[in-house]
Amino acid sequence: MHKILIIGNPNVGKSTLFNTLTKSNEHTGNFHGVTVEEKHKIVTLDDERYDIVDLPGMYSFLSFSYEEEVSRDIILKTDATRILLVDANSIRRNLYLSLEMWELGLEHKILINNYDYFSHQKNKINLEKLNNNFGINAEIINAKKIKNNKNYIKNLKNDTKNSVKLPYLNYFLMIIKNKYNIEDKKIILALNGIFTDLKQEQINFIRSFYPEIIRARYEYIDELLLDSLEVRRDYVYGESKADRFLLNPFVMIIGFLLIFFVSIYFIFFLIGPILSDWLNALFDFMIVSPFMNFLYLTVDNIWLIEFFKSGVFSSISTIFSFLPQVILLFVFLTILEDSGIISRMAFVFDDFLSRLGLNGKAIYIMLLGLGCNTMSAVATRNMNGKNLKIKTAILSPYISCMARLPVFVVVASAFFGSKAYFVIAGLYILGVVVSLSLAWLLNKTILPTQNSELLLEFAPLRSIDVRHVLGVAKTNAVDMIKRIFGIIVSVGIIVWILSHTMFDLQYTDVIADSILFAVAGKISIIFAPIGLNNAGVVSALLVGIMAKELILSTMTITNSAVNNATLIASLVSATSVIHFSTAGALSFLIFSLLYAPCSSTLAVIKNECGKFYMWFSLISQFTLAYLLSFIVYLGMTQGFVIMLMIAIVMALILVSIMYTIKKIRRHKCLGCSRCK
Amino acid sequence: MTLMETKLNTDCIIKEINIEDEKTKIRLMELGLIAGTRVRVKTKSIFKKTILIIFHSSCFTLKENIAKKIVVNYA
Repeated sequence: MHKILIIGNPNVGKSTLFNTLTKSNEHTGNFHGVTVEEKHKIVTLDDERYDIVDLPGMYSFLSFSYEEEVSRDIILKTDATRILLVDANSIRRNLYLSLEMWELGLEHKILINNYDYFSHQKNKINLEKLNNNFGINAEIINAKKIKNNKNYIKNLKNDTKNSVKLPYLNYFLMIIKNKYNIEDKKIILALNGIFTDLKQEQINFIRSFYPEIIRARYEYIDELLLDSLEVRRDYVYGESKADRFLLNPFVMIIGFLLIFFVSIYFIFFLIGPILSDWLNALFDFMIVSPFMNFLYLTVDNIWLIEFFKSGVFSSISTIFSFLPQVILLFVFLTILEDSGIISRMAFVFDDFLSRLGLNGKAIYIMLLGLGCNTMSAVATRNMNGKNLKIKTAILSPYISCMARLPVFVVVASAFFGSKAYFVIAGLYILGVVVSLSLAWLLNKTILPTQNSELLLEFAPLRSIDVRHVLGVAKTNAVDMIKRIFGIIVSVGIIVWILSHTMFDLQYTDVIADSILFAVAGKISIIFAPIGLNNAGVVSALLVGIMAKELILSTMTITNSAVNNATLIASLVSATSVIHFSTAGALSFLIFSLLYAPCSSTLAVIKNECGKFYMWFSLISQFTLAYLLSFIVYLGMTQGFVIMLMIAIVMALILVSIMYTIKKIRRHKCLGCSRCK
Repeated sequence: MTLMETKLNTDCIIKEINIEDEKTKIRLMELGLIAGTRVRVKTKSIFKKTILIIFHSSCFTLKENIAKKIVVNYA
């Protein structure tokens, strides 16, 4: 199999090229560091297989961040055709990586992207002169549109020959060899940050040439571009007239909140429910009704009939009840990413987030968290600095992901009627407030960070490509269905069996007599102080740790509901298995917002930050969820004054616990500049 | 004068980068922030903790602690 590596600086369009070549819709974004791991796709062309690999962005081989290390290691260890994608707008800086690759003997094909925009701004690259000066065969492409993909990929294979000269390199080889007798190859590797069989003093000596060789490389690039590049004197890539408004913190914060909450309203209260009803009606018409009619006519077993009706089909129907909303939310997030707004948000919010020991990049992690907490936990790799990364990973699950939103919509609609929207908006704000408060507390106690660095290339504002946005939404929806369909249906079946079977394995339609009720009933006593002393609620919360989508499906099955409307009606009825008082409902909403990350997010936190922080994340979330639910429940049932007193006592206890943990762990480094 | 102290939208030339952390210094140089480079501060954030700089037709955000260590002269 032939490998093709797509290499380049961050945000030059590597993932876009990957999508075009492989005809896929992988996650791309107009922001620095969207790709943190390599992505593979195998394409078969005339019986020959090609493994096309999209690598995270890198500026140079002297890796600075996690994603640069990933790319560097793959490039060095893989025998492949290498494509270096270069942005015409920052060709000078992009060619720096090319020089490093030629030094290391890594042949590559240079493709120049974004030339349309560059030339539209009255700038010009004379490709013929560039190729002659450099000794390469670079091409100008549009990563979004490549004609005849098949031939293009095939031709890439043998198109990396060159006659590049690197005159500055001999000077460094000569000086270093004068002092130490080291092979040329080892010196070149060391000049690019890769040290093999060298003594520390030799390494230090070679390292002392880094500033000089960087200067030499840029001088050489300037020489090569002298007659092949014409850039308008006042041209700045990434700058826009709209920045006058967008970089104003008040405009940005108020504008973002307004757009976000209006979008949520449209998605979850206007368009989403209509689409869900259509999907469910279609599902009912096409599958459920014909199958159930057949079953009623041919089978005389109540267990089997109920199993399919309220076990299997109810679980599937739950997926349809939130699928359109999830797709629409993905569309919203993709638009935000593609437009280039996130760079501006990172800049504007950096001031505020720095005070909490985070930096502007955290805003991107939080936005990803609105979609999926697991995705945001993975993206914390992008954060430079151990403490910063751990802190962001711990905080990301507090942001309400879209799996929690259907639960909020159902419960809030049942108890708060026309005010449901404001309750949901409040829950989102609560998630962010808790997350940021914890960031402050962690920064002051066990995870301090000093002046976390923020060095970001500013992405340009771009118009939205509707086809791409819809493509990404489709891919995300398919991924989500693949990920959760099996788990929702299988857990739904297990929950149904446990809630309709007694200890003597006989069928029961009285859920209070079931195994599930008996077991969950024993645990539910713990939840009595927060108004959730209900076996059905406890089972829903417990299975929700596996995946948040399961909360709604478990509630639907336990209450024998067939869709959201019947579930909403059942939640307010005292005869249903799961029912709440208004205070209990609010307590449940807060608890389900905060109580635990899902199992896949926990796995990522364990992987990225270690076992200690995974347990820390789980325990701290459960504790905070319990305390906040308790305070709110107390306030609604016992009055505001008692609530306030309890809240103050709890806050003091929490702060004392954090400081005690800090003291216990004081023998370990608390994030000095060396650790950073 | 450091980059942090310069007037907005006024071209400067980098004289020296006085950052102790070698890794950060090298990274800035690799991005093109080397002595002799023409640079200007486009805007500062509300509490002046972050600045937006322009050099070689590109925009970059830079933290105050780094910008304070880049010595410049007006062009």
